[in-house]
Amino acid sequence: MVDAPAPAPAPGLTDKDVLLSMRHLRAGFPTDDGFVRAVDGVSFDVVRGEVLAIVGESGSGKSVTAMSILGLQPTLEVAEGEILWKGTDLLTMSEEQRRAVRGKEIAMIFQDPLTALNPVHSVGRQIGEMARIHEGLNKKQSFERAVEMLDLVGIPEARKRASMFPHEFSGGMRQRAMIAMAITCKPDLLIADEPTTALDVTVQAQVLEVLVGIKDEIDSAIILITHDLGVVAGLAHRVMVMYAGRPIETGTTSEIFYETRHPYTLGLLASLPRLDDVGDEPLVPIVGSPPSLIRKPTGCSFHPRCRFAHVPGNCETDDPNLRLVAGDSHMAACHYAEDLADVSIDSLRSSIDIAADTELADLEVAAAIYLPEDEPEEDAVVADVAVAEGAAHPGVTDRAEGGFDEWPGSGHGPGDGEVNR
Amino acid sequence: MTDVATEPQDAPVPPSAPLLRAEGLVKEFPIRGGVFSRTVGSVSAVAGVDISVDKGETLGLVGESGCGKSTTGRLLLNLIRPTAGTVLFDGEPINVMRGRQLASMRRRFQIVFQDPYASLNPRMTVGAILSEPLKVHLGLKEAEVAERVADLLRTVGLAPEHTNRFPHEFSGGQRQRVGIARALALEPELIVLDEPVSALDVSIQAGVVNLLQRLQDELGLAYVFIAHDLSVVRHISDRVSVMYLGKIVETGPRREIYENPGHPYTQALLSAIPLPDPRREKTRERILLTGDVPSPANPPSGCRFRTRCWRKRELDDAGVDTAACVEDEPLLQIRSESGAEHPVACHFAKTVAVV
Repeated sequence: MVDAPAPAPAPGLTDKDVLLSMRHLRAGFPTDDGFVRAVDGVSFDVVRGEVLAIVGESGSGKSVTAMSILGLQPTLEVAEGEILWKGTDLLTMSEEQRRAVRGKEIAMIFQDPLTALNPVHSVGRQIGEMARIHEGLNKKQSFERAVEMLDLVGIPEARKRASMFPHEFSGGMRQRAMIAMAITCKPDLLIADEPTTALDVTVQAQVLEVLVGIKDEIDSAIILITHDLGVVAGLAHRVMVMYAGRPIETGTTSEIFYETRHPYTLGLLASLPRLDDVGDEPLVPIVGSPPSLIRKPTGCSFHPRCRFAHVPGNCETDDPNLRLVAGDSHMAACHYAEDLADVSIDSLRSSIDIAADTELADLEVAAAIYLPEDEPEEDAVVADVAVAEGAAHPGVTDRAEGGFDEWPGSGHGPGDGEVNR
Repeated sequence: MTDVATEPQDAPVPPSAPLLRAEGLVKEFPIRGGVFSRTVGSVSAVAGVDISVDKGETLGLVGESGCGKSTTGRLLLNLIRPTAGTVLFDGEPINVMRGRQLASMRRRFQIVFQDPYASLNPRMTVGAILSEPLKVHLGLKEAEVAERVADLLRTVGLAPEHTNRFPHEFSGGQRQRVGIARALALEPELIVLDEPVSALDVSIQAGVVNLLQRLQDELGLAYVFIAHDLSVVRHISDRVSVMYLGKIVETGPRREIYENPGHPYTQALLSAIPLPDPRREKTRERILLTGDVPSPANPPSGCRFRTRCWRKRELDDAGVDTAACVEDEPLLQIRSESGAEHPVACHFAKTVAVV
């Protein structure tokens, strides 16, 4: 497999502005069923002061990509690639060096603050710990810093709140406390993993407001991981859309939303009901389910679900690389990206017969059902269904070869997946 | 784009009584404390809610967590008994029914839960899950049951071959389809959908929403669609009721609620939802609410929203007397001076376009 070229930094910026640079990262988790290729060739840059959104559905690898930066997943095996932080590879650093970066220069805001906060320590102590460890402040000074930080994220009566425990906070306040903790050492990069997904919309609006305000205050970059395209539209400068462990489209926010060049991105946008729709436009679902990261489809990982796939054709045989499709930074991993220039969400919605499409989609959902490996007879049944309905489903074929045999030092050759039990 | 005239809510209202009518629903949960678990207080999760649903229509019930929308949904089906109030299904009071009478009535209304993984028994095959209501309620024979189960699976877009599978062998969207099939098994007239697509990814969610709409068209079902996602609710509902802290603050035809909201809470809620449209999103004005929802164990006097209300603050700053907000509970009624033609529970209701 040929590696995708890394996206070029935005024009007018020197290498000095690039904070983080991920290069061809491949990483995953060994499991009883095989090796889960959660991150399968990801390259991107983060520039000082920008908000980069990583978008994708559950299981697309967006969280693992972010976690690999901090090295917070002990079971994650990195097979290839490098993560350059201000020019130094985080992956080759000693744990001690890495710890100095983590929390001080790169900080993380987790999705669920109730699990991420320690229930037996006061909020102030947890926030102050950052300053105690990285800046050597004493207990009193670090508590003062915590109060200052809580005040900064808009928690009223910060001094009183700092001595309280996480369970005494409401959901929105807890998330603010998480943000306060992350910014205590004024990091250069904040990684926010679904920071508002667990919150109600009115509280989400408050927290996002805080996040943006803080970013400008301390001039840090943000990697925003989310599935909410609305949040992306309002916050992000650039977007990277991920599918099955790989980036499939990257570009500026307006390129991604208005000049979409990958069928998956277009599918996400078209499947979204919108608040400003009159409400009678049909939704366009993406048929089927995301592929297993252990056994990905041949060719383009998205082709079994793609409305525009050329099957039979190169979509099912050749894995498309991320390539420049427009402007100087808009990239898409699709053989037929240019064809999407004439397709808009509205045209997609109006061109399909929703009744017929829904039935077809339903049947394909049925055909694409999860296949346990040890039930070969099930394959036959499903294949029959697919044939009977005239919807041949090419996506369920295995890809036993390719990919992992090329991973140097991974210790996971081809076929490992099948015999791991 | 569809013309206004073809909007479902503009269709003439059927003269018959509504399929489901709830009046003055109240549900208080006791707070227990002390050594002997004595009742030391109560949380009024639902504090006087009126709802009516016509045959074949969809009522959207929206609100944030803790506003009582799910409790309302369960009260409507008599899954929990109301502290006060009545629920009439097709004219019959189901909240006083018990035993066999209630069971036979239950065939006509069903529920789909948010998390199909938790609401489907992991030790039963899909076939067993779907045939149970058929055997219990209809007393069908094995052969008839098998045929009906296959039909049900086809109806929700699954293959009949899936009857021998267990819930864990399905993806999230497929599992929710099983939950829908179970609700359909007894051919109900009304289904309460409690956050049916909230746990699903958007691309999968769209398929389930389309399925629900198709089923409604084909089977003439009425839905009570409970959700916190106002975009989905706009897409699927004919009428929408907005809840805050156990009360409905605004109710009306879908288009009215979204384009001409009269209650400051509805306006704040709608303005807080980010649109997947960068250009509009960057120019939009947000109405930011301060603070959190007060505890339902100790709700504010007068208007329950007053502690977070941005309009009250605006009026206070302008020197307008807002004592009514603190003293009188605003009733859910049409207020002609507000500019809204639907009921709004606010003394100072005034329509603002926010979407």
